[in-house]
Amino acid sequence: MEFTLLWAALIAAVFAYAVLRWEADRGNQGCCSGNLWEVAITSAVAGIFIGRIVMMLVDGVNPLGHPMDVLLVRSGVSTAGASLGAAAVFAWLSRREPIAMADGISAAAVAGLAGWQAGCVVRGTCLGTASGLPWAFAQDGSTVTRHPVGAYAAILLAFAALALVWFKARRSPAAGVAASLAIVAAAGVRLVTEPLQLSLSGGPTWFYWSALAAGSAGTLWFGLIRRRRTADR
Amino acid sequence: MRRLILVLAVFAIAAASCSSSVPTDGVEPPAQVTNSEMQELLTTSTEPIVLNVWASWCTPCRSEAPLLGKAAREFSDEVRFIGLDVRDSQDGAVSFIAEFFDDAPIEHFADPGGAIPVELGGTRGVPLTFFFRSGGELSYLHIGIIDERTLALQVDELREG
Repeated sequence: MEFTLLWAALIAAVFAYAVLRWEADRGNQGCCSGNLWEVAITSAVAGIFIGRIVMMLVDGVNPLGHPMDVLLVRSGVSTAGASLGAAAVFAWLSRREPIAMADGISAAAVAGLAGWQAGCVVRGTCLGTASGLPWAFAQDGSTVTRHPVGAYAAILLAFAALALVWFKARRSPAAGVAASLAIVAAAGVRLVTEPLQLSLSGGPTWFYWSALAAGSAGTLWFGLIRRRRTADR
Repeated sequence: MRRLILVLAVFAIAAASCSSSVPTDGVEPPAQVTNSEMQELLTTSTEPIVLNVWASWCTPCRSEAPLLGKAAREFSDEVRFIGLDVRDSQDGAVSFIAEFFDDAPIEHFADPGGAIPVELGGTRGVPLTFFFRSGGELSYLHIGIIDERTLALQVDELREG
């Protein structure tokens, strides 16, 4: 049995936890009464299984007829299903103060995605389309050099997470802005790196565009319109 | 607690009522193949080959089968896809092919003894996925369930190489 997927998940969890702890130590996390780490990890695990069920349905496999297949997440998880499922579980768990908790978790979530992408090193899935660039490399026994697209995504997401930590600490953004920017960062990085990824189905770019639009609209709404309305009152 | 038990009971009843039987009309059982015949098929092929070793009783094989079907439909004009059913019953094999590979351009063979994958450099466990360049040179062997990224990368290696 292979455990590389679990290692990648562990790296993601460590990245997310490190950012949550870091923000808490800097006094930048006293937003919410709920335990952000518990909510984050529960939402992520639930999202993975919801994404797996969605993928089974898309592939024409009945999850009720083959319930054990749900555990075999290596065979495919729907990105859209997992993201929306995790968001729904998060919304339910943080229903008392959803915006504050979403802001509180924003940088850690982006850091977790960076860790997941960095986990391509242990999974052996860093390589993308063929490339002649100086930093492109080939897998063992091959002469075809390729973009290390997993590393690109991990680096971009790590920068985005650090920028969010800085932004939250120094700029005191309006409620909802940090969470919206996290969605913009996650979707933007996927849109930029997707053309270099190898996949059988091309990736759900429609979902990344939708998330980018939703995140941008959220940033505008919370950052400008809602702040102005609050100030008017 | 009562609500949880009720939900689990409904799920169990629904799972039990969902039989996995699919129509198998017109599906041929995989032809039996010997080790030397398989070796000859690999070495004489002018196209690269993806050889997936499966069995109908293997849950991980069931789980990865849709991915292989998708890959075969996408790349069958450049890469040849072969399924090798090992240590399996004929009825099980036919049901499995009907359920997952009915419309996928994959040639299926049967190895009742399960010796061929070991002769090719693999293990007795399933699933296994071999990637052979044209002429039969092994490019990559994946042991266990294959994921989309790995499958796409190794198929692309065969196409580029």
